[in-house]
Amino acid sequence: MMDSQSAKIPTIVQRERRIGWLLLAPALLLLTLVFAYPILRAIGQSLFTQNLGTELQPQFSGLANYARMAVDSRFWQSLSNSAGFTIVSVAIELILGMGIALLLNQSFCGRGIVRTIAILPWALPTALIALAWTWIFNDQFGIVNDLLMRMGIMRQEMNWLGDPTLAMVALIVADVWKTTPFISILLLAGLQSIPGDLYEAHAIDGASPWQSFWAITLPLLMPQILIAALFRFAQAFGIFDLVTVMTGGGPGGATEMVSLYVYATIMRYLDFGYGSALVVVTFLILVIAVTVITVLVQRLRRNLA
Amino acid sequence: MKHFQSPTRRRFLSWAALGLGWVTQACQPSPRSTPKKTSTGEIELTVMIGAQEIPTWKPVIEQWEAQQSQIRINIIEGPTATNLVEDLYTSAFLLGESPYDLIFMDIVWVPKFAAAGWLLDLSDRLSEADLTDFLKADVAGGRYEGGLYRLPARTDAGMLFYRKDLLAAAGYQPPETTLELLKIAQDLQVQKKVRWGYLWQGRQYEGLPAMFVEVLAGYGGFWINPETQDVGLDRPEALNALRFLAETIAAGIAPSGVTTYQEEETRRMFQNGDALFLRNWPYVWPLANAADSPVRGNIAIKPMVHAPGFASAGCLGGWGWGIAKSTRHPEAAWQAVQHLCSSLAQKQIALSYGYLPTRRSLYQDTEILQKYPFFPSMLTVLESAVLRPPIAQYAQASDILQRYLSAALSKRMSPDQALKSAANETRRLLGKKT
Repeated sequence: MMDSQSAKIPTIVQRERRIGWLLLAPALLLLTLVFAYPILRAIGQSLFTQNLGTELQPQFSGLANYARMAVDSRFWQSLSNSAGFTIVSVAIELILGMGIALLLNQSFCGRGIVRTIAILPWALPTALIALAWTWIFNDQFGIVNDLLMRMGIMRQEMNWLGDPTLAMVALIVADVWKTTPFISILLLAGLQSIPGDLYEAHAIDGASPWQSFWAITLPLLMPQILIAALFRFAQAFGIFDLVTVMTGGGPGGATEMVSLYVYATIMRYLDFGYGSALVVVTFLILVIAVTVITVLVQRLRRNLA
Repeated sequence: MKHFQSPTRRRFLSWAALGLGWVTQACQPSPRSTPKKTSTGEIELTVMIGAQEIPTWKPVIEQWEAQQSQIRINIIEGPTATNLVEDLYTSAFLLGESPYDLIFMDIVWVPKFAAAGWLLDLSDRLSEADLTDFLKADVAGGRYEGGLYRLPARTDAGMLFYRKDLLAAAGYQPPETTLELLKIAQDLQVQKKVRWGYLWQGRQYEGLPAMFVEVLAGYGGFWINPETQDVGLDRPEALNALRFLAETIAAGIAPSGVTTYQEEETRRMFQNGDALFLRNWPYVWPLANAADSPVRGNIAIKPMVHAPGFASAGCLGGWGWGIAKSTRHPEAAWQAVQHLCSSLAQKQIALSYGYLPTRRSLYQDTEILQKYPFFPSMLTVLESAVLRPPIAQYAQASDILQRYLSAALSKRMSPDQALKSAANETRRLLGKKT
């Protein structure tokens, strides 16, 4: 009798643990509802054929959607478009963002105003910016062609958005312009948390600023770089608005991103099963890519340190 | 054996319970907002219209509401972009329990919405005699597999705009065939009378196949036959049509950037006086003839050019009214549709906005002719209008054609190869052997 009762009275540790779970419960519930449910739902839906051919009724079809994807050249092309766009634009943004952050970290007259102006592109709505860039790259009225021709770099107008490679370049330029401020602000915050005496000590030891950058700034800034890279990676991979407005995926599908293809499949073709399979595979590829980046950056950081 | 429970913990639990209650409640569907019958016995019908269309329809609807006391129409303001309005309707129907009784529909939505089972079939409510006044192609655009799902309220068709002052000065008649168009354009460009010869829409988007079906029909070809599901894209006629478009770029008649233009870019260049010919929709007419337009009074329209021995064709666009299958008030909705497509309503809209009516009789209406003397010439374009294939998978078929046309026009593929691939992919889509 006594024994069984004492077993029922929770120990302090047990009680703490229970309260801990209870406190976590709302967050866990929210995470489940917001993340786990849609992902599981998409995985489930990807095993069914549900489109206009089945009158929008789900019919179990196993892995048929995945088999279809394997031979869907449009999917693979859009995937490589997204990957190319993401890698190039994020790399440029990181380098430029770092430069701008280092510059803004120096004290100079009017720094506050310059910092505010520097973040402006990030604050403007993408769809509007995209429209502006469409006109900037217009072959007849665009300022890019006008400038390049006045400077004598080109003799003839270039059809920026009408050429597969140039259209991708134009998209990357617009994206870099728009999102570099985001990276530089993140990195600037990181730079300001690095104590100045580290540099002083390093300089006394005879190090040049270039050496200090590699020995102090870069290793200590790694957490911010990683966060910025991951954020931008996920955003760039899901880019939609900029591409929709500037090229619509053209010419000839040369700039169609995965997000545009998924949107078309689900919202315009009403092909839910296949659309879900596209989402699942893209999701898995993203998770793998993010893991690889994280591991690589951690290793780089250890090497630098 | 006192069960220990501190006051703080009890308070926390009650908060947690409250929170959970809120979360679960938030997850439940909100109670249906269907006290649609208001207390006075009126029926309220709901429709979503793109924001820019509301000024057009509001006066018509308000006048109708003033004439009778049973039916009210509640307009929900939608986005201005057509594809976004389509997406919103799509989501509403997919989630079931759609709030919309009436649907203001673009012509290309009809097959998809009908195939998905979202629309009410109107064919039992109308006799052939009721339909005789409507333009044939516009009615056909509302049909899907024997049913009629949309009554046309206004129409639209691609047409050729040209600078009559420049043609007259050079002593040319407006061109009938594609060859004449190329020749005249080149001649006037060589004489430095005009910068560009011919502008059309070449970007990868819905406007590209819309423009292409006109050229295609003008060469005697077809895209998809909705009855037999035959695909005509790899036939010689389609290749000739595509070659004509490519030729305009290669010969410098159209700027190379034409492959990135939508309607607005081409309209601006034409209105600026930079082009001799323009393929576009009727909306250009009032804008290019506005008081501040440099080409005001110097432009004219005619049906599209075609290959020698064939006839002109304009791509049919336009809007109309349909009824949601899920509506609880089909009779009231039908009355509304009849009124909104009536001669009275169409005349009112034509007079105040210049939109083209779908009823033939209005093209002889003296009041309309007085205001728009060019309407009868539009009628010839409209009667030769071609439909984009009315099939359920239209969106996919359009995307396939867009991609390959764009690939050929931007020289990623040869025209021949692009059209073969487009035809094969379209056949696969339709479940036909390639």
